[in-house]
Amino acid sequence: MATTQPAQHLRRSMIYRVLTEAGAEFEVLADTAVAMRYADGGDEVVLARHMGLADLSPLSRTGFKGGDTPDWLVTQHVAIPDGPGQARRQSDGALVLRLSADDHVIVSDLHARSELPARLEASWQLSAGRMCYHMPRAESYCWFVITGECATEMLAKVCGVDLRVDKFDEGRIAQTSLARINAVIVRNDLGTTPAFYVLADSASADYLWPCLVDAMQEFEGGIVGLAALRALV
Amino acid sequence: MKIMPCPLNGPRNISEFAYGGEVELMPDPNTSSSEEWAEYVFFSDNPAGVVREWWCHSATSYWFIAERNTVTDEIVRTYPPSELFKERVEFKKESE
Repeated sequence: MATTQPAQHLRRSMIYRVLTEAGAEFEVLADTAVAMRYADGGDEVVLARHMGLADLSPLSRTGFKGGDTPDWLVTQHVAIPDGPGQARRQSDGALVLRLSADDHVIVSDLHARSELPARLEASWQLSAGRMCYHMPRAESYCWFVITGECATEMLAKVCGVDLRVDKFDEGRIAQTSLARINAVIVRNDLGTTPAFYVLADSASADYLWPCLVDAMQEFEGGIVGLAALRALV
Repeated sequence: MKIMPCPLNGPRNISEFAYGGEVELMPDPNTSSSEEWAEYVFFSDNPAGVVREWWCHSATSYWFIAERNTVTDEIVRTYPPSELFKERVEFKKESE
């Protein structure tokens, strides 16, 4: 895949300048650029298994909210989670997050092969008789992932919810305070490596990223690219 | 640390919540007097004992109702507003 610079694309990560300074090598992914690896030469897969932080913000995601949303998603052949606070993987790799009974977020897979977010956005129309409203989550949320055997210890420093792997099952969602800002935390293991997606206010991404980088220093964690995450699955 | 049991998210640090005032039934805006409306909008009963209050979980913008003892600060029960409010409130337009 061709290397590129984020500024060549209209859509890019909220923290692409920070990633560029950290030595990120970007590759084209659909209509955007994603940090695939970093130039320091270390083994990022080993790092990701131990304690890694990656930016997935350029990947596609969307959301729908309102009392008729679950029924509408079912008509669109989406397998919705049974209840609030749960995530469910789709056959094409996308992940559907049910934040409340009526509020759903759909995030892409790591290879961006899933067309579900784009298909749902294309299918959706505002209808006077139907309470189902589009939430443009790609713009409002940044998307990070924290991986590795030390991930829960690091998260315990910045989050009050008990996210230990024996207490917080895969597919569970916690909507809580992370480093003092509101965040959606989803446990979504990558292969056998514990992993937590973090969705938080995009305008706070420049604050949250260095907070998490700082928090993982004592565990000798580091930032990793998308290629390392793909190697874990 | 004080813990609030959110009906949607479960137990959370109290710092994740915002207080929204006492739960009061709204008088009919078309028939109530100015005094009744002002009482509803601006004043609280502030009793000593168990009161019903609006609370919001900031991380999810989820509003719910808590029954709290204002003497002991004990949270007796929390539940979704749908337990009290079963129907959508429609406001008549002035021209109707």
